[in-house]
Amino acid sequence: MTTSTSADIVVVGSGICGALAAYRLAQQGLSVLILEAGPRIDRARVVAAFRNSPRKSDWMSPYPFSPWAPQPDYSPKDNGYLIQAGPYRYPAEYIRVVGGTTWHWAAQAWRLVPSDVRIKTLYDVGVDWPMAYDELDAWYQQAEEILGVAGADNTGSPRKHPFPMQPVAEPWSMRRFRERLAPAYPVVANTVARNSRSYDGRPACVGNNSCQPICPVNAQYLGINAVESAEAAGARVVPNAVVYRIEPDAKGRIVAVHYYDPNKKSYRAAGKEFILAANGIESPKLLLLSASDRFPNGIANSSGMVGRNLMDHPSSSLTFYADEEVWLGRGPQSPSSINTMRDGAFRSRHAAYRLDFTNISQVLSVTEALIAEGVYGAEFEKQLRWRAARQVNVKNVLEVLPHPENRITLASEKDALGIPKPEAHYSIDDYTRRGADVSKKDFARIAQMMGGTGLRYSPDGQFANNQHITGTLGMGDDPAKFVTDRFGRTHDHENLFCCGTGVMPTAATMNSTLTAVALALRTADHMHPPSRGKSSSAAGAEPSP
Amino acid sequence: MNEVVESDVVDAGRRRVLAGMLTAYTASLIPWALAAPVASLNEGTFLALSAILVGQTALDAELGGRLHAALMTESPRFDADAQALLKLIDSEHVDPARLQATLDASHSPLAPLPRQIMRAWCLGLVGEGEAARCIAYENALNAVVVAEVLKPPTYAYGPYGSWSKPPPAKGDGGP
Repeated sequence: MTTSTSADIVVVGSGICGALAAYRLAQQGLSVLILEAGPRIDRARVVAAFRNSPRKSDWMSPYPFSPWAPQPDYSPKDNGYLIQAGPYRYPAEYIRVVGGTTWHWAAQAWRLVPSDVRIKTLYDVGVDWPMAYDELDAWYQQAEEILGVAGADNTGSPRKHPFPMQPVAEPWSMRRFRERLAPAYPVVANTVARNSRSYDGRPACVGNNSCQPICPVNAQYLGINAVESAEAAGARVVPNAVVYRIEPDAKGRIVAVHYYDPNKKSYRAAGKEFILAANGIESPKLLLLSASDRFPNGIANSSGMVGRNLMDHPSSSLTFYADEEVWLGRGPQSPSSINTMRDGAFRSRHAAYRLDFTNISQVLSVTEALIAEGVYGAEFEKQLRWRAARQVNVKNVLEVLPHPENRITLASEKDALGIPKPEAHYSIDDYTRRGADVSKKDFARIAQMMGGTGLRYSPDGQFANNQHITGTLGMGDDPAKFVTDRFGRTHDHENLFCCGTGVMPTAATMNSTLTAVALALRTADHMHPPSRGKSSSAAGAEPSP
Repeated sequence: MNEVVESDVVDAGRRRVLAGMLTAYTASLIPWALAAPVASLNEGTFLALSAILVGQTALDAELGGRLHAALMTESPRFDADAQALLKLIDSEHVDPARLQATLDASHSPLAPLPRQIMRAWCLGLVGEGEAARCIAYENALNAVVVAEVLKPPTYAYGPYGSWSKPPPAKGDGGP
């Protein structure tokens, strides 16, 4: 077996961004090699693993980590992979398998709002993006057509062309929120990569209510769909290939990456161009790992900014009982939200946010609560039905500003292959905390309008993490301040590009995947512009009925 | 699956054995149990205690056998504790609604037992932490109780858009 291989393009990471960049480049006739640290997995086995899991509220439980490609795992005990340097704990989650973390996403496929890319100019906070919102429209549209995005025009994100699909049918529970909160709070359908009709050979949603951790029927687009498209276009995927070093030549061009198999046998993959798409934690880790005499700070790190400006979306929340039966759990998990606080002059003072309603079945959490309370006998069934019918939740999704001291570094501890683990340095600033304080008033008003009782706020100052790992490879024009340029090319290495949420200079208030996919397609097309006449939109998408 | 020891099997006497374990008080909590088949005294005790705790008038005996076997594997004292708890409920006429508070107040060594049995039936789970095992999911009682309204996550609710209709059933009672 050879220990070296080569391709025109070598992509590190097989998540949705790396796979779609690979797909686009393979369509151009280039040879593309995708290296994935983790194994291939099978949808049906993930479904079975969830059903058999003793931890059904832990969406990582059906995705056990591989010893050679560990991922942060906190339950039933912390596997100690992501080292916490503090001061605020950052329990990031991601999945190192072929297809990446969107195996268990909620398929939230949001565009930014135009002001999101100009918050320095408009509000004197954060940084501006090196592009205008309008420049992204065409790439957003292509991303939406590939993913199959369903949505409506009332969320605050302008667009030039229609959504590929109508919004997914509104669950009864969300209808009741919409009707009762109007006109104070407009409740709108979320923009999702979930089928409201058959699309691109995949079926419409049938309401399995397990979007996280797994859609059993392929009604929501996942990274594995992107991998399959890339393979169909000619890309080759090597699973269980743990890249541990990026090799430059004397001029600073990247010539190869080196990877281990699970037995720590080393391989070399040479290429003409390289795409790093291993998420906002693993990508900077790999750049830092590749330090050498020539590049003592690591690859692409002459600015010292690799790993810095780590961002995510913290959430606080309110759980309560509505005064009517809404029965969360019928239909998809995350259907509706309030978008009016995504932008405004207030952003000079506090974080913008989106207000999100869950439609996740409450049966599990209610059962756990009743057992914890010792509610037994006939009262158990009575209470289970009453609470499961009425328990609801609203949470904020808060913007976090880029701060250089929030960062990923290399830990002194090493994993099973001897590769240093990533270390998270993280804090949540007063700007974000003020946003949480303001949203708490919305929570109270929403509960009041729903006749809420049994109000349970998440503890002040404590936030749940949304696993929207952003920053660490930020785009910008100034090579002294940013890792990548406006097209995702590293400032230091002309043939090394970054794709993924890491390149986003700010986090805004929206789930970051669609923006990262749009940027990844833009990067791929910048590397090799599609030849005239070749389709650059959805692969085999069915025409609208 | 539950291992049934032949010598423990009560055939014609099943009902009498279970009835003999219960006083009028506990029998009044679980009138169904007098007609339920049991494979052994210990399993009968487990089912009687289970019925009192979960407040159900019909329990899946096959699932009960599997849960009982798993709980016994988890703790060698399980059967002895279960008998002690049933006896306590009997002798003290403890209302299930106040059982946990009563056990906690007296610092009873039996205090963890009701939650173990509830977790088994209502969540399908036996064991804690890394030793936790899932024995039941779609037939765990928390799924069965709401089955006319909800499907357990991963099971299709119905045709596209069927979730837009009002929920089909009314919950009852209140906290």
